[in-house]
Amino acid sequence: MKLAVFWGCRILTSQYAYEMSVREVFKKLNVELVDLSEANCCGDPIKSVKDSAANYLANRVLAIANATGLDGLLVPCNRCHFTISEAKDVMSKDKNLNKKIESLLKEEGLAYNSHIKIWHVIDFLHNFVGLDSIKKTAQKPLNGLRLATHVGCQIIRYSDLGRVDDAENPRKLDELVEALGAKTVDYAEKLDCCGAALMYGHPNSALSLAGAKIKALQNLGVDGLVISCPDCGLMFDFRQKDAAATVGAKTSLPVIYYTQLLGLALNIEMEKLGLHLNQSPVEQLLMKIST
Amino acid sequence: MPRIGVYVCHCGLNIAGVVDVEKVTEYAEKLQDVIVAKHYVYMCSETGQRMVKEDIKAHNLDRIVIATCSPRMHEETFRRTVAEAGLNPYLLEIVNLREHVSWVHSEEPEKATEKAKDLVKMGVARVKLLQPLEKRRVSVEKNVLVVGGGIAGIQASLDLADAGFRVYLVEKAPSIGGRMAQLDKTFPTLDCSACILTPKMVDAARHPNIILLTNSEVTNVSGFVGNYEVSIVKKPRYVDEEKCVGCELCTQVCPVKVPDKFNEGLSQTHAISIYSPYAVPKIAIINPNHCLRLKYDKDVCGKCLEACEAKAINFEQQPEEFRLKVGAIILAVGAEIFDASKMPELRYKQCKNVVSNIEFERILNASGPTKGEIINPQNGAVPKTLVFVQCVGSRDKRFHEHCCRVGCMTTLKQAILVRERLGENVKIYVCFNDMRAFGKGYDEFYRRARELDIDFVAGLPSDIRSAPEGSLYFDVYDKGTNKLLEIKPDLIVLASGMVPNTDLEKLSALFHVSRSNDGFLLEAHPKLRPLESLTAGIFIAGSCQGPKDIPDTVAQASGAAAKVIDLLAKDVIELEPLTAVIDKNLCSGCQICEPICPFLAIETKTEIVEGTEKAKAKVIEAMCQGCGLCVSACPTKAIKMQHYTDEQFLAQVKACCSERR
Amino acid sequence: MGLTDLMSMAKPNMDARENFLSKLSSREFVNCFQCLKCTSGCTALKLLELKPHEIVKLVNLGFVDELASSDIIWTCVTCLKCVQRCPQKASPYHIIMVLRNMAVEKEAQIPEEYLKTVSRILETGLAEAPQEVTTRKMEVFDRKSLNLPKITFPRESFQVAFMKIMEEK
Ligand SMILES: Cc1cc2nc3c(=O)[nH]c(=O)nc-3n(C[C@H](O)[C@H](O)[C@H](O)COP(=O)(O)OP(=O)(O)OC[C@H]3O[C@@H](n4cnc5c(N)ncnc54)[C@H](O)[C@@H]3O)c2cc1C
Ligand code: SF4
Ligand code: SF4
Repeated sequence: MKLAVFWGCRILTSQYAYEMSVREVFKKLNVELVDLSEANCCGDPIKSVKDSAANYLANRVLAIANATGLDGLLVPCNRCHFTISEAKDVMSKDKNLNKKIESLLKEEGLAYNSHIKIWHVIDFLHNFVGLDSIKKTAQKPLNGLRLATHVGCQIIRYSDLGRVDDAENPRKLDELVEALGAKTVDYAEKLDCCGAALMYGHPNSALSLAGAKIKALQNLGVDGLVISCPDCGLMFDFRQKDAAATVGAKTSLPVIYYTQLLGLALNIEMEKLGLHLNQSPVEQLLMKIST
Repeated sequence: MPRIGVYVCHCGLNIAGVVDVEKVTEYAEKLQDVIVAKHYVYMCSETGQRMVKEDIKAHNLDRIVIATCSPRMHEETFRRTVAEAGLNPYLLEIVNLREHVSWVHSEEPEKATEKAKDLVKMGVARVKLLQPLEKRRVSVEKNVLVVGGGIAGIQASLDLADAGFRVYLVEKAPSIGGRMAQLDKTFPTLDCSACILTPKMVDAARHPNIILLTNSEVTNVSGFVGNYEVSIVKKPRYVDEEKCVGCELCTQVCPVKVPDKFNEGLSQTHAISIYSPYAVPKIAIINPNHCLRLKYDKDVCGKCLEACEAKAINFEQQPEEFRLKVGAIILAVGAEIFDASKMPELRYKQCKNVVSNIEFERILNASGPTKGEIINPQNGAVPKTLVFVQCVGSRDKRFHEHCCRVGCMTTLKQAILVRERLGENVKIYVCFNDMRAFGKGYDEFYRRARELDIDFVAGLPSDIRSAPEGSLYFDVYDKGTNKLLEIKPDLIVLASGMVPNTDLEKLSALFHVSRSNDGFLLEAHPKLRPLESLTAGIFIAGSCQGPKDIPDTVAQASGAAAKVIDLLAKDVIELEPLTAVIDKNLCSGCQICEPICPFLAIETKTEIVEGTEKAKAKVIEAMCQGCGLCVSACPTKAIKMQHYTDEQFLAQVKACCSERR
Repeated sequence: MGLTDLMSMAKPNMDARENFLSKLSSREFVNCFQCLKCTSGCTALKLLELKPHEIVKLVNLGFVDELASSDIIWTCVTCLKCVQRCPQKASPYHIIMVLRNMAVEKEAQIPEEYLKTVSRILETGLAEAPQEVTTRKMEVFDRKSLNLPKITFPRESFQVAFMKIMEEK
């Protein structure tokens, strides 16, 4: 199995742990990832500035993916996944914009193709690889762990666009975690946003959104939070201290990418999974796994 | 040479506001064979009709074209007009200038006028080829089938039975009564639902003219107005209806527990049970999906068999089929309640203390799962803060666009009952978008709720959350105060809307009745024929036509019954002569048409033609509905639709394609 | 004539509303019946007082200019809850995005980070520059020391195309 992969900006420029763990885990699952060459930002950050330009950027990514000749594109970032899915939808509906974008792409020798299937890590693992085969390949079950999941906003909303999981009752990430032997908890704040998109204009508010969720999770007494989006990684892991400070909470919540967790279950070395790069106290979690 | 009169109607400004009626009339006057062309402000008025009649006599007209609204509105009116002037009523052609022209092209009056001219030209071309026809006369069966035994079906059956007609009342459930039997009190008068319904249920069961078929469904329908033939299957109860005395000895010994449907699953009953405390008929029934003996082994259990002193239990009972002849049918199959678990954000079915309004109705009811005590089903405690959330599944493009029409009033009723029973200390909030209290005495009822200190929050919550220990909380923004309020109730009641019965899909095919966009049954005309379906002789009543409260349901049911009486009071009825006719000489006897006819109106008979036996198709005139399917299927063009012949259509097409003079 | 907001003496600007409509792919927002679900669940409400229902109503009435110049449209977290749960499919989020585009067009004050991002994309194709990461043990890593593949940045032809679409009216 071969998949093209589009990392977006945040993974490539700071959330290295996500990139490393995806690369390692997919290798172990016999899925070859082909990096896009000369790709660009998906367009999300400039939707607010000029929507048509954002659509151009997203569709350029699809055009570059098309050039690989592969029929599936892995997009591990929630925000990129949403932006590209919506841009693809707009291309099919807005004939004028479609023409404009196609001609811009042509100038670069690129061709648009709407047939490529867009995967997120979550639905690829859940729908394509399947829970059973993940259960089977996991050599080191994570029994005894009690984890919370945070799927993020943009891979589940809005349903009319066709998203990775159910908008109101997303269970795929939970099931993937449970497939490794760990328990997941349901909690009232599960669908609350990490706040990342506010970092541009209102960083303090953004951090306090993340802080509120961290506080709630700590009160719940879970062993850690499982995520699968680099923006959520930025907020809950990289900026955990600042976030918790906004709501006067202590920080001791291990935050881990699902692919890191899966990597551990697949017996991949911690360094290779980038576990030394997490800024939250993941060692608490790692200790529970080794005992 | 035909002598044609053309009349262009203004329909007030409906047509004349867009189409230049004078120009259309001038144009019509110049068409070949047109003797007179006139326009008038309301052709359907007394004066308009008189004008046509006088012209027919004065100018010796033999064909009439009226360019006006849809033929569904006034074709009958104008047929009567021309008949009164001595013309065969089928020598009339209606051209639709309103629905087909002015209403849809109001932006482009000039083009609309041109289109109107074309349509008039086509009408004139067709009217020349029309043939005089005579109505068919058929006798009618004096029996009526009523499907669904809710308050609508019961009311219609009683009205018909009192008028002397024999009624077969077919109910799918083991008892009649429908939704109303589940209700506690009824708005806006707060009279007890059972007290006003149960006597009617008993009357229906005892009435000598009503034959009650419970636990039964209609499986086949054929025939036509006045002469329907229906098949009904009565599913086995495994209890002999003649012997069972309703003593409930059996239910006490049955070891299998089953969620009680009548109580919306809030309590348990047994595999053998009596449907409800007021069941009519009060006869036990065994649920074959749960009974150990019916499910597993002939020799297992059998406790009820031992307990029943009347020896009524019969595990060998088989489905029974009945075939009946009826003159008319009333559909009264009711509605269902929206399943709020389709909106997981409201936590219905996830948290026991989020209930639907129909479940709460059972909780309020003295014969319900809590014996009428208002408690939180999660912990059994009396709630201190109660919230009602409106418009669940209704007025929502994601689910149902229609307003459920009873949700607001039901909530007001339930809130008032809670206040009356739990006193001043309980907090009651209603989160709403619009509060609809439009019926007689309804807004007064709304005021009564406000007087009782029920708090109305103008805004709907986006989601409901449950804290780990099971308590509920949610945020709601209130339009009145411009504040974001957090409410922590211990019980939430969702105003789940009334949605179409899932059986309607099946039933609409079975009875050849259409459904409107909202999924409910479609009435023949939204204002003028609200009780009829588009199929002659089939009427609709109650919440299967659209969400309704009890007063509207009963009004519609009595109305439908009156319509049936009107139809069946005569011994013979007249049918439109728009049937297919087969030219024997052209028929090759291939029998392609026979299975195509959905009304089984074609039979093939062998005839001796010039000494040899030949198969020939024949239309059974009384059964033909004039749908035209056979006409298009016949390879030798032997079949012709009267009044809609190929020649008549082609003349229109030719006229349409010819140059305008 | 017509409507006046007596609190600010503002009048609706129907041309601006037309311009707004031309940028929005769906007209469903006119169906908004002010049920307030969007605002009750808006992530940005408690912190920054964003009230999506109010924005939808103001746009409907024609107060588009005022909104495009306001700070409030920059408080949306893009969580998409309002799009998901609106019973009339009015999509307040999409309305807010169009208003932001209009703010840029009329050169209103907007958070500067957005414009900086445009320049970064123009320069490198990416919205952010690769960073060094300091671990909890105070070791410093970058892509190279982590053995991650080198990023291949788009070439000039991309810049030309991007500039074209950015400058287009
Ligand atoms: C929670 C709630 C509270 C309400 N409170 C009030 C109130 O206080 N006051 C008021 O005026 N109105 C109230 N209503 C409305 C009232 O219930 C309805 O107006 C009324 O029940 C409609 O009657 P119906 O006969 O049309 O339908 P139903 O009562 O639904 O009866 C339909 C019958 O048809 C049967 N059936 C279904 N399918 C078939 C089939 N295929 N073949 C044969 N039979 C079939 C069903 O089993 C049922 O017995 C309330 C409604 C709800 C949901
Ligand atoms: S949820 Fe939709 S309909 Fe309701 S107020 Fe918001 S935009 Fe309007
Ligand atoms: S997308 Fe924006 S406006 Fe909509 S709910 Fe989220 S934060 Fe509020």
